[in-house]
Amino acid sequence: MKEAKDEIRENDNSYIINVEHLNKQFIVDKQPMEVLHDINLKIKKGEFITIVGHSGCGKSTLLKIMCGLVDYEDGIVERNGHAVVGPGPKCGMVFQDHRLLPWLKIKDNVGFGLKNLPKQEREEKVRKHLEMVGLKGFENSYPSQLSGGMSQRAAIARGLANNPTILLLDEPFGALDALTRIQMQKEILRIQEEEKTTMVMVTHDIDEAIYLGDRIVVMSARPGEIKEIIEVDKAESRKRSGAGFAAYKKRIYDYFFEDSDVEYDVEYVI
Amino acid sequence: MKTDRTPKIGFGIRKIILALVIPFIIVLIWLYATMYTSIPHGILPTIPEVGQTFVEMLKSGQMKEDILISISRVLKGYLISAVLGIFFGSLIGMYQPVKELLVPIITVIRQIPMIAWIPLIVLWCGIGETSKVVIIVLVAFFQILVNTQSGIESTPKGYIEVAKLYKLSRWKTFTKVYLPHAVPQILVGLRLGLGGSWMAVVAAELIAATSGIGYRMSSARSNMQSDVVIVCMIVVGIVGVLMDKGIGVIFAALTPWRKVENENRKEE
Ligand SMILES: Nc1ncnc2c1ncn2[C@@H]1O[C@H](COP(=O)(O)OP(=O)(O)OP(=O)(O)O)[C@@H](O)[C@H]1O
Ligand SMILES: [Mg+2]
Repeated sequence: MKEAKDEIRENDNSYIINVEHLNKQFIVDKQPMEVLHDINLKIKKGEFITIVGHSGCGKSTLLKIMCGLVDYEDGIVERNGHAVVGPGPKCGMVFQDHRLLPWLKIKDNVGFGLKNLPKQEREEKVRKHLEMVGLKGFENSYPSQLSGGMSQRAAIARGLANNPTILLLDEPFGALDALTRIQMQKEILRIQEEEKTTMVMVTHDIDEAIYLGDRIVVMSARPGEIKEIIEVDKAESRKRSGAGFAAYKKRIYDYFFEDSDVEYDVEYVI
Repeated sequence: MKTDRTPKIGFGIRKIILALVIPFIIVLIWLYATMYTSIPHGILPTIPEVGQTFVEMLKSGQMKEDILISISRVLKGYLISAVLGIFFGSLIGMYQPVKELLVPIITVIRQIPMIAWIPLIVLWCGIGETSKVVIIVLVAFFQILVNTQSGIESTPKGYIEVAKLYKLSRWKTFTKVYLPHAVPQILVGLRLGLGGSWMAVVAAELIAATSGIGYRMSSARSNMQSDVVIVCMIVVGIVGVLMDKGIGVIFAALTPWRKVENENRKEE
């Protein structure tokens, strides 16, 4: 009995997100469709988790369940040791489609989640985060005046602006060019190290998953299951052209192309 | 730059010329009819006669008085319709039970043409101010309500999720997400409603009134003053267009983000 109690307390302290035996179904055309099957994921404070998986395997759904936007019927989902029943102020989310509100200027979109703050403080935060994502000078633009990549960066600024302790990012760099993407990856790492934010990022870019993740969650489709959680040695994964990086890459590719003969992997491995 | 500009000016002139073609033809036929046929002047006045009547009505201040009376009725009825239409439209759009309660009956009522209301309303409210306002409300209220409802209901789920994520209250979600999303559509309703109000008031005054531009028309008809009837019709048309343009300008100022979006679309 005593042991069990201690274990629970340890859970409370060390896991900021705890998902156990989570199943999720959607009803489509009156038929239940299993989207997530037996998901188990414990995330420590300050960790950077990346999630990769085929389109439609339930990655976005998993993030929305973690932040309380989508209900779950079966399993345990906890944030800070409490069952998730809805969104909380300290859990931010950057959506796959940027979802900036078209009728608000960029500065008001970024400040959308900043409630009950004095005007000046609010403006200062907005300014700081716009600068961080390289959108200084676009405060008074409307979302329709921004490019796809700029909109995504504005959405990231909105996600960061109210200093969440957990930030869930759903393919946040999807619309960015390779150069901006690498720049944003560095920026997000800097923010994570500075603010100790716990980050969970869905990405379809395997390089990105390796470069950013402390652990990589590899998911399979229909129903979405976790195939493996890969621990990443950061010393190796931060060297994009190193042999260690290539080895991680091959390991992940092997999940998706089971009889893998992806040639350019082999090049790296050698 | 130059190649960009010339067609624009050309386009403007073309637009004006094309718009004037049909009025010009009508005037020609009219001229022909009054000069070379034997239609009596009481039925079809000559163009100079109509012009003269127009000037006289303008000078005597009668026209101004008629128009002001009609417009003041429109304003009363329209304001009531706008407030009620936006309120109930929002309510229906936000709450499913309210929708189920009100929409069936509203759908039925909307099938009844405005003119068909007039006998009953005259019976109940007489031919004074109240009956005009009631008729205007019957027309404009539903137009505004239906458009408000559709604007609120079509709010993308994604935006509502953003509000949910930031834990906005129900009221804040309404004012910051649903309402701004619905504004363009509400404005469409308000614009249709204003046009409808103007038509309704003229129709109501034609049938049952002792003042206003519509009354002027019907009394001119019984005196065989076809010139007055035609002048009034032209004035009704012009006032309608001016109100529509005016409200268009006001509404464009209320939705600056739409202007930007439209410009982007044009460039594409
Ligand atoms: N609200 C919903 N109602 C019904 N089905 C849904 C709903 N949301 C998602 N789904 C279904 O659940 C499955 C997983 O969707 P989800 O958006 O989580 O996938 P994803 O892994 O994020 O895909 P992608 O990489 O393309 O973004 C899909 O088959 C989708 O059709
Ligand atoms: Mg997704």
